[in-house]
Amino acid sequence: MREKLTYRGLVLGLLLTALGALEMQAQEPGDSLLSDSIENVSQAEQDADSGLSQYAQSLIKRFDKSPLLVTILYIVILYSIVTMITLLIIILLNRRRLEREEKLMDFLLEKYQNLLMNYLFEEDRKEEAFKELEEVANSRINRQILIDQMIDLSVNLKGDIKEVIQDLYIRLGLKRDSLEKAYSRKWHQNVKGFRELAYMNIRDANEQIILSLNSKNSILRMEAQIAMVRLSDGNPYEFLDLLEKPLSLWEQVTLHELQIQHNLKVPDFKQWFGSENVSVILFALEMVAWYKQRGVGKEILDLFDHEDELVRNKSYKVCGEIGLKMALSSMSKKYPEESFRNKLEILTAFTKVPDEKYLKFLKNVLDTEEDVQLQIEATKAMENTDEPGISMLIKLMKSKSEYKNYQIIIRHVLDGRIY
Amino acid sequence: MFFVLNAVFIITALIFTTYLILTVFSAVTLRKYLRKNSYVDYNSIVASPLAPSLSVIAPAYNESETIIDNIRTLLSLYYNNYEVVVINDGSKDDSLEKIIEAYELEKVNYYFDYRLPCKRIRGVYKSRNRSFKKLTVIDKSNGGKADSLNAGLNVCRNDLVVSIDADSIMEPDALLKLVKPFMEAKEKRVIGAGGVIRIANSCEISEGHIQRINLPKKFLPRAQVMEYTRAFLMGRMAWSELDGLLLISGALGMFDREIVIKAGGYSTETVGEDMELVVRIRRYMTENSLDYDVVYIPDPLCWTEVPSTVKVLARQRSRWTRGTMETLAKHRKLFFNRKYGKLGILGYPYWLAFEYLAPIVEFLGLCWFTFLVITGRLNWPFFLLLLGFVYFFAVSLSIWSVLFEEITFHKYERRRDVLRLVGTAFLEPIFYHPMVMLMTIKGNIDKIFNRNKWGKMERKGFGKN
Repeated sequence: MREKLTYRGLVLGLLLTALGALEMQAQEPGDSLLSDSIENVSQAEQDADSGLSQYAQSLIKRFDKSPLLVTILYIVILYSIVTMITLLIIILLNRRRLEREEKLMDFLLEKYQNLLMNYLFEEDRKEEAFKELEEVANSRINRQILIDQMIDLSVNLKGDIKEVIQDLYIRLGLKRDSLEKAYSRKWHQNVKGFRELAYMNIRDANEQIILSLNSKNSILRMEAQIAMVRLSDGNPYEFLDLLEKPLSLWEQVTLHELQIQHNLKVPDFKQWFGSENVSVILFALEMVAWYKQRGVGKEILDLFDHEDELVRNKSYKVCGEIGLKMALSSMSKKYPEESFRNKLEILTAFTKVPDEKYLKFLKNVLDTEEDVQLQIEATKAMENTDEPGISMLIKLMKSKSEYKNYQIIIRHVLDGRIY
Repeated sequence: MFFVLNAVFIITALIFTTYLILTVFSAVTLRKYLRKNSYVDYNSIVASPLAPSLSVIAPAYNESETIIDNIRTLLSLYYNNYEVVVINDGSKDDSLEKIIEAYELEKVNYYFDYRLPCKRIRGVYKSRNRSFKKLTVIDKSNGGKADSLNAGLNVCRNDLVVSIDADSIMEPDALLKLVKPFMEAKEKRVIGAGGVIRIANSCEISEGHIQRINLPKKFLPRAQVMEYTRAFLMGRMAWSELDGLLLISGALGMFDREIVIKAGGYSTETVGEDMELVVRIRRYMTENSLDYDVVYIPDPLCWTEVPSTVKVLARQRSRWTRGTMETLAKHRKLFFNRKYGKLGILGYPYWLAFEYLAPIVEFLGLCWFTFLVITGRLNWPFFLLLLGFVYFFAVSLSIWSVLFEEITFHKYERRRDVLRLVGTAFLEPIFYHPMVMLMTIKGNIDKIFNRNKWGKMERKGFGKN
């Protein structure tokens, strides 16, 4: 915390300096705009009858300074005092409002929850509960609370009961509210609308949601993606074909979590390896690794020649994750021309897919690379080949190399306490 | 005389206008941030295997009182892929022994290189207990905070690093909020992110976690609450939007490790290493024609103990002043340099004029005022009018920041605390500010006479509040 917003600091200093200067100037009148008191006195005398002049004269008499400057200062002081009082009132009222809202919300939530529970689980009180809910849904705020409650319930409940909630949502006319929000001109309303429609499985606004897939607003874009996944029947990631904007890592993680939470159908992700949107390829690769999808070998090898460094990086990573032995040879050939980050990923893949055939390659990496991380990763890959690799490492430890301290590297790798 | 007087008036008006603009800017940005953030679900990345791996680097020097609890807090943050690297910077107390005992540590054969220069690393420790597998402790010769951070950067392995003071308390979700801008990055590479630091004095703290937030009972820390609220919710918020942010607090910040290393790591030649690093990595990106962002998150992410005695506060402010002077001097090339964009045109000149020169101008003003009083040439009615003008404007800005706090994060739940904070806004310009101004002048004098000590920060320890 270095900068302090020293508001009064500079201002006070400048004003005090100005004050001194003004004081001195008052003894040598005539050359300052701000201290034209003498001129103003004579001016004021000429118009003695006017109220403004009387005011000016009184200021000059009291402060011996320009009436304009004094008036500005008065205005700023007045503005500051009024602001202070207004803000203080706002602060206190806001606090009171928050406390009241909290209490009211607690009361309403409990009341509506009970009504919803009666409707959902008490067959004999169902119609009575519905009538009460209809009465409740007479204001926008109450309807919003009801929608939020229904969404909470539909997240926590499974099976047929979800459909009963959706049916109630439509019967109470809440769908209209959600659609209004989905078509609103305000993005934050759109987000709410998309979310509500997606939870309630309503497809009436799909066109609007698709339009928002390429919105400039990242929050709206993400909400549209989530809604598309939730509202899909067969292929939840169909929207990836329509996506023009980059899919950020944040969005990828959110989609992945959604997939896991809702146990959505897993498509064959290699279909997006040819996408023109690089971020879509990266997501597809990540998903192939996560779901350990097979039969992707040839397509992944093609991606080794992709012009984007990150795509190549992720392809190497996937080879390690899914244990794609057939890729080792190509990776060892690509190694010399790759960036540091990609070299590291290739070596990590070799660690995950150990093969003694590549010990020579790994030893060469260990000997030629100067970077600690690359050396460690190459050594780990050698160690993971078990007997042949370990005996090679032991031999290296015993050898006395002049240009490389193998001992320190190998001791690090063999130390089981370093995770 | 004509020119000087008008210039003074114009500058004064300009300063007032600037602060008003900054206030409006921060209000708009805060509103935008809060609205966007209300739709964000951080839970999705807590356990996600796709989330990037992080290294939290915490240097510690003579922190024996609090180190065990603070490490416990660091180990229990809401995030899946992270390691904690604690650096014992040659502590003279029993910090290392306490950590070794509490976390069952032993020396390991850790291989690293001195990619960034730092004092000799005597050993790297890991725990025998797999529950603490995230923890790595480095023991090194004393070299200061920047030197320790460089040691941490040499040893850690992840792409994103979080630098934190070991005596600060992180909010459990701090990592989630800090990593978000890095994960959202598309065209521009995010190279640094910082957030709001809050004051923990008088808060109830147990086992390294804030249990109850209280406004400090003593005036001095309370005045700093006011100062921090203004700086973090108004100043930095606005500068972040204007892309002129020059500082990510040393108490907590997340950085792109590759860029930090390429730019040369933390400088050990300044006592303001946090500010200097941000300026340097920004320069590095611009000079290499790389698009980048430095992001500010207005969420409270970290709690720290601030000085509660005048003596310690004076040392801290002297250090901050020297740090600012050193950074501004080292990067003077930025001054109104269009090549560096808003950083050169807005950020640097603002810091020079408003943060560094302001207290000096103020001090000169006070000297001049004293001279006029002694010689009997002071126009008292006009002086009182000017004083009222400055005082009420300053207090109204402080109350704006209290309002920002109230409608955003609402951390002080008791009405009494808020009223006391408002009361502090009225007292601060009279009692606290002149003192801080003099401390800053002392910092200038210390720098001129080359008294470049870091200065000991005596802490009471959170448990003893």
